[in-house]
Amino acid sequence: MSRQWGIKTALSVLVFVSLFPYLFMLTTSLKDNLQFAENYWVPTLPFHWENYSAAWEQIRPYMVASVVVAAAAIVLIIAFSLVAGFVLARYSFPGRTFFFVMIAALMMVPSISSLIPLFVMMRDFELLNTYPVLIIPHVAGGVVIGTILMKTFIEGIPQELFDAARVDGAGGVRLFLSIMTPLSLPVIGTVALITINGVWNDFFWPLLTITENELRTVSVGLLFFQGQSGTEYGPMFAGYLLASVPLLVLFTFLSKYFLAGVQGGLPGSH
Amino acid sequence: MATTAGTPVAAPPAEAPPGGPRRRARISWAAYLALLPLLVVLALFQYYPALNGIVRSFWDWNPGQVSTFVGLDNYAKMMDDAIWWRSFRNLGYIFVFGVVSWVIPLVAAELLITLRSQRAQFVYRTLLIVPMAFPGVVTALVWSFMYHPNNGVINRALTAIGLESWTQNWVGDPSYALWSLLFIGFPFIAGLPFLIFYSTLQNIPREIFEAAALDGVGRIRRFWTIDLPLMARQVRLLFFLAVIGTLQYGFMAYIVTSGGPDNSTMVPVLRMINVAFQGQDWGYAATLSTTLFVFTLVLSAVVVFVRRSDPASTNVRGLR
Repeated sequence: MSRQWGIKTALSVLVFVSLFPYLFMLTTSLKDNLQFAENYWVPTLPFHWENYSAAWEQIRPYMVASVVVAAAAIVLIIAFSLVAGFVLARYSFPGRTFFFVMIAALMMVPSISSLIPLFVMMRDFELLNTYPVLIIPHVAGGVVIGTILMKTFIEGIPQELFDAARVDGAGGVRLFLSIMTPLSLPVIGTVALITINGVWNDFFWPLLTITENELRTVSVGLLFFQGQSGTEYGPMFAGYLLASVPLLVLFTFLSKYFLAGVQGGLPGSH
Repeated sequence: MATTAGTPVAAPPAEAPPGGPRRRARISWAAYLALLPLLVVLALFQYYPALNGIVRSFWDWNPGQVSTFVGLDNYAKMMDDAIWWRSFRNLGYIFVFGVVSWVIPLVAAELLITLRSQRAQFVYRTLLIVPMAFPGVVTALVWSFMYHPNNGVINRALTAIGLESWTQNWVGDPSYALWSLLFIGFPFIAGLPFLIFYSTLQNIPREIFEAAALDGVGRIRRFWTIDLPLMARQVRLLFFLAVIGTLQYGFMAYIVTSGGPDNSTMVPVLRMINVAFQGQDWGYAATLSTTLFVFTLVLSAVVVFVRRSDPASTNVRGLR
């Protein structure tokens, strides 16, 4: 049996080329400027781990802001979309299809197209430079995909479970809290991942609505971070890597859901 | 999706009491009440801004001050806006290049499914898509470092192999800036096209490949006669998604080139933002935004239509 070395070599070359910029970032993040000037290509001793603490000092507020925004958005999105998904999947009432179509139609509205009017609205509400201005668009966007995913998932839960609970005297609220929510944990996790990914990649909205350094999220903060550290490449790349850690960790441990999230955000995929 | 008929809802089977209609009405009200918070959020932060943007595209919009209705003036201005149309030409290049670049993920996916060891397949697949896990901004910043005129990897590498005369100010020169943007993320494997190509090829039943091999069909011929036709639906879908994705293209250009030099990398999203935030011309920005919105909406509708008419589109086994 051949070991398929040719194919493996070709794939290894592709892997190396794909990862090269990130590997270069990793090795350079451990250098001081002298090492960077003298040994541009290869890693050299000693490793300057202090680049990471220097970088952390600067990006900490950005990370905190991103975590706060992501956490608040996740809680709100799940609260809204779990209730709506449950009602839409398990109750029949006049207008049910209409409401669902009104929600699902928003999948086709790109967030970039409401950027300008939404910005003006937030300025009128005097919400610029606050947490709500960062959180609201993520919630407004996330509940759409959230509701669709939840509804689809809840429809797949066997009706017998609900019937059995009803016979035992459970009401709508009890059904929701004791049966549906625990069963929906996988889809809750997917929605949370999509939201985190969205917060870490959102760029124009925080760029335009936030001018206070303390409130900048990671994606925008890194731009200003670059300006502050000037030509100190080590701490700069260390900062980029630290900012990537949350997504890298999620990718490593939850890659299946991560990929589902990437594909789930597409129009027409449900 | 949609209507799961046969999932009887609401009325509890245990107690089908007299006065059923009354109970049903009560449940309806509870349902509306439960949906209310979501509907308020969507009305306020999705429907209102989107509609307001369309309405304001017909106004000389001065938020907080006096706005005047100007009819189609903004649209007339758009028709004459050379930068706006140039930005669409750039989008055209970005789109065509993007589609052509699928060759590399396609080859990578073909190589990958040829591996016999499942474990090796998993390792290579994971390594190939690692760049997807980095925030887009980090990728943009790392690549703008790659293009740095003095310390950048590309110019340093050219110097190191004696091709110093080939070094360029990649993102600062109008004749190279767009090319530099296009090559960000080379070799373009970490992305949706690769994932879709790979999962499609994986889902093709092994027996088909074995039968083809028995009939003496070579690797190249198999690609053209079996793999590609079985992927046609996915390629069509990817194609539409790429159109929509390209229309939203913006933040890479903002970070790496800011649309410059000399508007050579201007894209519609950046033009819209510049008009609004630097020009303070909100009505005209709303016009540009509405135009982009309409383009995207039409194309999204096409995507949904294609997928609907095509229930097996993500599962090739469904073909059998």
